[in-house]
Amino acid sequence: MQVRQYVLRRLLFLPLVVLGVSIIVFALTRFSGSPVAIYQHPDMSQEQIAELQSRYHLDDPVPVQYLFWLKGAVSGDLGWSGVSVAPVVDVIPNKLAATMELAICAGLVAVLLGVALGTIAGARKDRAADHFVRLFAISGASVPIFWFGLLLLIPLYVEWGVFPIGRSSPEFFERIGHPTGMYTIDALLNLDLRAFLDAVWHLTLPAITLGFATTAIIARMMRSSMVEEVTEDYVDAARAKGLPERLVIRRHARRNALMPTVTVIGLSFGFLLQGTVAVELIFRWPGLGQWVTSAITAGDQATIMAYVLVTSLIFLLVNLLVDVAYAYLDRRVVLGG
Amino acid sequence: MSGAKTSTRPRLASARLGMPRPPQLPALKARLQRGRELSGEVLRNPLTLAGCLVIAAFLLMAALAPILTTPNTPDAYQMPRDWQAIDAPPGSPGHLLGTTSTGGDVLYGIIWGARKSLQLSVMVVGIAVLIGVIVGSLAGFVGGRLDEILMRTVDVFLAIPELIFALAIAAALGTSFTNIILALAVVFWVKYARIIRGQIIHVKQNEYVEAARAIGDSRLRIYLKDVLPNSITPVTVQATLDMGSVVLIGATLSFIGLAESGLTEWGVLVATGQSDVIAGKWWVSTFAGLAIFLWALAFNLVGDGLRDVFDPKSQRR
Amino acid sequence: MNAQPVAAVDDLRVHFHTSRGVVRAVDGVSFQVNESEVLGLVGETGCGKSVTARSLLRLLPSPPAEYVGGRILFSTPGRGVVDLLTLSDEEIRGIRGDRIAMIFQDPSKALNPAMPVGRQVGEVFLQHRADHLLERAGVGLEELDPVSRGLLSRAAGERSRAPERPLLRLPRLRGRWRRIRAALDESVAQALADTRIPTPLKIMRSYPHELSGGMKQRVMIAQALACDPDLLIADEPTTALDVTIQARILDLIRELQQRRRTAVLYITHDLSLVRRLCDRVTVMYAGRIAERAGTGDVFGRPLHPYTRGLLGAMPARAGRDGRLVAIRGSVSEVLNGDPGCRFAPRCPHAGAVCRRRDPALVAHGEPGHEAACFLHEHLDDVAPGERPSPEPVR
Repeated sequence: MQVRQYVLRRLLFLPLVVLGVSIIVFALTRFSGSPVAIYQHPDMSQEQIAELQSRYHLDDPVPVQYLFWLKGAVSGDLGWSGVSVAPVVDVIPNKLAATMELAICAGLVAVLLGVALGTIAGARKDRAADHFVRLFAISGASVPIFWFGLLLLIPLYVEWGVFPIGRSSPEFFERIGHPTGMYTIDALLNLDLRAFLDAVWHLTLPAITLGFATTAIIARMMRSSMVEEVTEDYVDAARAKGLPERLVIRRHARRNALMPTVTVIGLSFGFLLQGTVAVELIFRWPGLGQWVTSAITAGDQATIMAYVLVTSLIFLLVNLLVDVAYAYLDRRVVLGG
Repeated sequence: MSGAKTSTRPRLASARLGMPRPPQLPALKARLQRGRELSGEVLRNPLTLAGCLVIAAFLLMAALAPILTTPNTPDAYQMPRDWQAIDAPPGSPGHLLGTTSTGGDVLYGIIWGARKSLQLSVMVVGIAVLIGVIVGSLAGFVGGRLDEILMRTVDVFLAIPELIFALAIAAALGTSFTNIILALAVVFWVKYARIIRGQIIHVKQNEYVEAARAIGDSRLRIYLKDVLPNSITPVTVQATLDMGSVVLIGATLSFIGLAESGLTEWGVLVATGQSDVIAGKWWVSTFAGLAIFLWALAFNLVGDGLRDVFDPKSQRR
Repeated sequence: MNAQPVAAVDDLRVHFHTSRGVVRAVDGVSFQVNESEVLGLVGETGCGKSVTARSLLRLLPSPPAEYVGGRILFSTPGRGVVDLLTLSDEEIRGIRGDRIAMIFQDPSKALNPAMPVGRQVGEVFLQHRADHLLERAGVGLEELDPVSRGLLSRAAGERSRAPERPLLRLPRLRGRWRRIRAALDESVAQALADTRIPTPLKIMRSYPHELSGGMKQRVMIAQALACDPDLLIADEPTTALDVTIQARILDLIRELQQRRRTAVLYITHDLSLVRRLCDRVTVMYAGRIAERAGTGDVFGRPLHPYTRGLLGAMPARAGRDGRLVAIRGSVSEVLNGDPGCRFAPRCPHAGAVCRRRDPALVAHGEPGHEAACFLHEHLDDVAPGERPSPEPVR
């Protein structure tokens, strides 16, 4: 009962926050360039431009402009992407799929590896494994993702050519259908092993680069949670029952330590999204990050706006999912509060 | 309440003028004493100590920039161009860390880049703390409707990932250094607002506030005496960590093109060196990126060390 | 009453390595717990009683704690009398929960909040009574092929290797596994019912936070007594409970203890509880034993000044003028090994000799009533001025 109320409350707040984000994004566009640039094609005639001006009420005060922009956005018109030479909404799905593929892959690895490392470190506090994990964690939080990517790129791509850049080799990519837009899944759906391996091969370097910092953050949080749980009475009680240490750590301590870590997982998705900007640039991955970086150099307002909106929306949704999952996991949690 | 203790001549101007001594002073002294004790404890951790040393090294580097190198003319913060020494590898005569494809000395870029990093982080964190404290105080004190509005605003700001937000603002405002500072400050203030507001609410709920109000302490006095001093520690921890984050994000912005070109800034250097990387000229990006890494690492270590000392239990973000 | 000893602690010494130095938490403690008897271990916080108790199960975390001396003798079914401190990790795990069990102070903290309580009690059966479960389930292992037999018996003992668990869903094994789990549920329900829990089936599926304090403690007791241990260690089991519930839990412990003839080591700082429950009492101070006797003797004729102080501080025994007499000072951590009675700094009777020599635990008067205090010894080699004074010195 309480969980349902909690979920409803969060769902109600979500559109409000998104609205707030849209206001900020819109306000930013009023700082530079001409308002009509968002909708403008390069080869538009003067009349067409004038028509745009009136349709979006660009001669009226800014709040009115905002309302008409919002109306357009809700009905699917987010402007024209100069860098992609197409309406923004047409471009987003493919780019989104590419970025999500990368982010989810990196995220999965980060969660699994981070939880494992954090558990080991927390259970063996102040011993060798703990020091190593802490060092790893703090490096991960300090390393510039773009630099790390280059550090991997130099030996593994430039020198020895072990890994490729880009998303795919055309020969495999073109011969399969793309229902989901995610190369790995499409390859599996097509039961094409070569394509799948090609996809994974291309994913490896960007995913490692992207996932390093996130793994570090999760490992750090998991470690501190474990350190706290391991000193709790129920862990001692479990030992007093004669349970082997591995069961005590895994079944008792870790299960409870995971709960605060889950919220960090939600936040760290934000880091993943941020990281895609630099990673996609370096590894020439055709996702949202690469899209927005080219938009910046070209001064493409519509693309930048759409990018901020989409990424914020995803971030909010992921956090909502994570918080709901947490509410289910922790029976004691007083929801709403 | 006046009168100095040991010296015959009163040290404080107020005492000399015959005015009563400000009542906060004994508490301040106690806090300074405690501050000294805490610094001792912080420095006991070898990692934290290492971080402090690295920061000191960077500060030294930044301070001595005009001495360590010959400043470029007309603008010292522009990478020098030396067409006779382009793409020199590390160890070449006169270029310890090599040069860029336009002959800019990498070491020069790193030393003057330290200045830029210092400017950036100090300005951003300073402004962010200021705005954050003001907004947080308003929200906490006034409460009610204003609190709701401000906190929803904070929620909105937090919904946009930091880098992406900074990116959008910088793209909108333009890529001058000042604009980058502004963009980052707008992104970073929210955490401080939350900290301050949280402290105020905590103090408000504390029973002794009721007692203090009962004896007539004004809200302002409570604020100055209780909220601010208690907030110093979490704010300091956050500020230290942010000094590192700001440079990281700032460098990323530069890397993706949101900076004045040719600037002696570490992120710009990494970007300049990026195209050379494919051709096997690794040194520009590597050394510049190393500088960013060490800076962020040092502040993270010190920030962690501070957090361990101030509040050992909460190691959570 | 010539009772058989179940466990005997012999000159136990446990040190803790802390940043401030080495703390001698337990400094030469010896006592014995007999079959079917409740021994109270009494003292203030920090006197070493919890450390002593946890040593019996070797539950102390080994980097800070170190067992520097002494033995803990325990009679096991298979190997006769062994020194628990010398057993391997695997051997001690076999004893924990099975032959020696422990109930903890705060049941809210000693139960895993994320697991139904029935499952937690069940863990004890799975760990130590797997064979019994298999038998009870009537699984007919002999008829199976070796592989299936191995899978099932390992699963019943929580020793499955990593990928084996899903295999239990196979049709051939599914039914049997279900019967094993049913046997487990029955055993758990039975254990809960033994502690007078009215609705065991419902409680089994509950989470700790859904239960009251008294109910949680019953679950802990059920868990501890599940395998019918020889020794039950109760570490302040009622401290975290309401006074009204305390009495019921104490009665429950007494009843179960008598019925099963379990030896109980009852740790507390509350002397009134000791009087209700314990047959004999051992009073500890600063890592050493101050006094040891039958309950009646301790309450009737306390010998050690510390014991007298404790009794004086009991609400039911307020001084003649109705005031509670608190013992001045507080326990200090023992960092050095200087000779001298540990209680001397706070003792109203202390003489110079008390600060120079360690008093030995000796019987004074009746056999079975021992105290470590120079007050009751004939100190022929000590000048009268240095002896402790019988009248309290203010």
